[in-house]
Amino acid sequence: MAIGSIVGKGVARVDARGKVTGQTKYAGDMRLPNMHHGKLVFSPHPRARVLAIDCSAAVAMAGVKRVITARDLTGSGRYGYDVAHRPVLVAEGEETRYIGDVVAMVVAVSEELASRAAQAVVVRYEVLPPLTSPRQAMAEGAYLVHADAPGNRCCKREFSHGDVVAGFARSEVVVEHTYKTPRQEQAFLETESGVAYQDEAGVVHVLSSLQDPYGVAEDIHLALAIPKSRIHIKGTPVGGGFGGKLNTTIQVHLAAMACLAGVPVMLVLDREESFIFHAKRHPTEIRLKLGAKRDGTILAMEGEVISDAGPYSGRSPEVVGLTMSALLGPYRIANVATRAQGIYTNNLDSGAFRGFGAPQAAIAREGLLDKLARELGLEPLELRRRNFLQPDSRPASPMLGDSPVSLEALAEKIIARMGPKPEPAVGSSKRIGRSICFDMPVFDVGAIPTLGKSGVGATVEVHSDGGVSVYAGGTELGQGITTVLAQFAADQFGLPMEAIRVEMSDNWTCPRAGRTSASRLTFGLGNALLLAIEAVRQTLLTRAATTLGIAREELRFVAGQVQSCSAPERAIAFAELAQLCWDKGDNLREEGWFRAAEDRYMYGHTFMAAGADVAVDLATGEIEVLKLANVLDMGKVLNPVMAYGQIYGGAVQALGYALMENMVTKDGLAKTPSFAEYAIPTAVDIPFEFVAEGIETPYPTGPFGAKGIGEAALNCTTPTLLNAIADAIGVELDAIPVAQEHILAAIHQQKRI
Amino acid sequence: MSTHQLTLTVNGEQHHLQVDAQRSLLDLLREELGLTGTKKGCNAGDCGACTVLMDGAPVNACLVLAVQTGGREITTIEGIASGDKLHPLQEAFIEHGAAQCGFCTPGVIMNSIALLRETRQPTRAEIQEALSGNLCRCTGYFQIIDAIAAVAASGEPV
Repeated sequence: MAIGSIVGKGVARVDARGKVTGQTKYAGDMRLPNMHHGKLVFSPHPRARVLAIDCSAAVAMAGVKRVITARDLTGSGRYGYDVAHRPVLVAEGEETRYIGDVVAMVVAVSEELASRAAQAVVVRYEVLPPLTSPRQAMAEGAYLVHADAPGNRCCKREFSHGDVVAGFARSEVVVEHTYKTPRQEQAFLETESGVAYQDEAGVVHVLSSLQDPYGVAEDIHLALAIPKSRIHIKGTPVGGGFGGKLNTTIQVHLAAMACLAGVPVMLVLDREESFIFHAKRHPTEIRLKLGAKRDGTILAMEGEVISDAGPYSGRSPEVVGLTMSALLGPYRIANVATRAQGIYTNNLDSGAFRGFGAPQAAIAREGLLDKLARELGLEPLELRRRNFLQPDSRPASPMLGDSPVSLEALAEKIIARMGPKPEPAVGSSKRIGRSICFDMPVFDVGAIPTLGKSGVGATVEVHSDGGVSVYAGGTELGQGITTVLAQFAADQFGLPMEAIRVEMSDNWTCPRAGRTSASRLTFGLGNALLLAIEAVRQTLLTRAATTLGIAREELRFVAGQVQSCSAPERAIAFAELAQLCWDKGDNLREEGWFRAAEDRYMYGHTFMAAGADVAVDLATGEIEVLKLANVLDMGKVLNPVMAYGQIYGGAVQALGYALMENMVTKDGLAKTPSFAEYAIPTAVDIPFEFVAEGIETPYPTGPFGAKGIGEAALNCTTPTLLNAIADAIGVELDAIPVAQEHILAAIHQQKRI
Repeated sequence: MSTHQLTLTVNGEQHHLQVDAQRSLLDLLREELGLTGTKKGCNAGDCGACTVLMDGAPVNACLVLAVQTGGREITTIEGIASGDKLHPLQEAFIEHGAAQCGFCTPGVIMNSIALLRETRQPTRAEIQEALSGNLCRCTGYFQIIDAIAAVAASGEPV
């Protein structure tokens, strides 16, 4: 087995067998002795003062173990990423900030009884008028969602480069438009779930569906004052996350219930609770302005982003910051002034969702580029190509990546894959439109030195029987990281996949690896693991060299052996070598630690191109996606089956965002909190022709040259569909989702372009 | 709340149970029989994650009351492999990368078995139509359709 023989192959996922047989145990499938069930009592009002909570009826019910309110909590009772201002439970005298706020929780012997007891908790509220839009929240004299956030401003980001005033002054054509995007729900199939118990040593164990065991431990420590050494977080197989489980969801509540009730507690949110509880994609309004010369050279960009941050900060500063940064896209723009604000409201919460703010930016940027192309009389694709970042140019962006630029190669590939544009049948009321868009989605190692959050660790251990354990604290969300890490270990040790066991998402057994987000695991965790593996390989090589009497440099790991490169028959079996090391007292367990340089962020960019052909029936408004193609420069395609799976899945989420998804709120209340009301794409909604492809421009810092692709699969697919529809009907579109009725209305209004 | 005597067959094994009148087949499978391979995604018949076969026909187990299943034969994801030998659809789902997070997978596979028993050589459009009640948020359905089409083309009995 030569180096690289497993890396790059579409080997089966290591967790696939458990998943197709139903044997994989998700959090909700766990059963512990004496396990009780928890239920949360949510505020029915987006904003209300809690006057009194009467638990007496619930407490009196047989089988109810404990009813908990804020006064029962030890510690600060507050948690949250960025600002720890989210109450675990809203206390009497305090105000609720959205309908996902919890006022009490119940522990009972059964799920059914816990539900009934929760309904028996009587809460008296003074209902107050909520803030339901950023504009309203920004108005002079508006009440403050958080007293320490004047103007209800959650966050503000600004970026300037060059001289934007001079840039516009020199521009021969200026276009400007405002784009609006809705709240998109992650709609993972597995709702927030978990089990928690406290052991005899006082350790709280939380086994739960999550994306960041380390962040959860931090929040439990903050909120409940439990020492960090007594908090064990074990991520269970995740039934979909997409960012919605990135921040702590139910885990602080679970830990509090388990400690206060003194029994193991399971909590599984029902679908409606899930839809109201976790943070979603920010509803965003973007005003964007571009100035260009007649030949299409873009000279200036000005942008203003206003995002609905919902009631709590969480990821908003980072997401809104990325919306601003991503406005620039993969283009050379010499003069830039952009600004972004996240504004607190009493709507549903906003936070991380695959793409992390960049999809909103792409809708505005790619939409306005088409408008600019029309003004200039240029083909939209030609306009983009004239402004591509060049291999030697760096983006005028706060996010300086170090990936080789491959936009021209992507353009060639997507043109070839799209082929000739189809023609509608003669006499048909259908019109066909096409669009090709580009993006440079970011991935990172989480290296923000000022926050002390840089660095990713991974451990590898070779056992005396020649088996290998990997301990990696990232989380398997279905993206396939477990399999990728096993591929790396199998490759480097010259072993079959079956010899590798990967343990993930555990703050006790795995070195700190941080969050599973930002498409960072293959890159960050992969690099950390390769460092750990290399340390163990050196120990094995030293022992093998002594034993075989061959220089270390002459040896290689291949086919379950360490053997001489020039004389392969001179070899020692890997298992025999492992046993030998064990007997001699060699250390075969090493930790690798990968981190950014102290003085800068560490980013890479995954360049992408998306192409779409759509047919729109002018008579009915019906939209058919005839073809959708996504091509990504992945650096190295580590596992084509899984990589293309990411692209197909991301593209269909983007299709849902473009054509149907909107988690509607009215007066702060959720109007679509079920799958019947919040439609996501089904199997009949996917494109007739669906192309996923990768090109490989090796990324020097990436493991085997690879880059992160989880989010890149999605970023500019939505504007590609939107622009293709606009091209078909000759009407400018500036808001999503675009459904049949919007098409008919747009045609009716004759906003022809 | 009334309870009922119930006799049903699950994955070839007969069970005599005392069940609550309100109990769904889904909760019966998961809570009483420990068959947690069948998933609860919405408990409202919207997502298809709890699809099982009842006398060979696909049903949302969350919408079927346990008491309705007396004398019926239920097949769940745990009951389709033969010992260590996986069902052809399970093999195909692995090979084609049709499972990502895996939460929808049991329901999708059960529905696919029903499809292929009914229509041995479905077109891709027929596969899409048959799956339209099974939500999947990870895969974009494409590799799921590939997997089912591959089993259909192989002619292997399902």
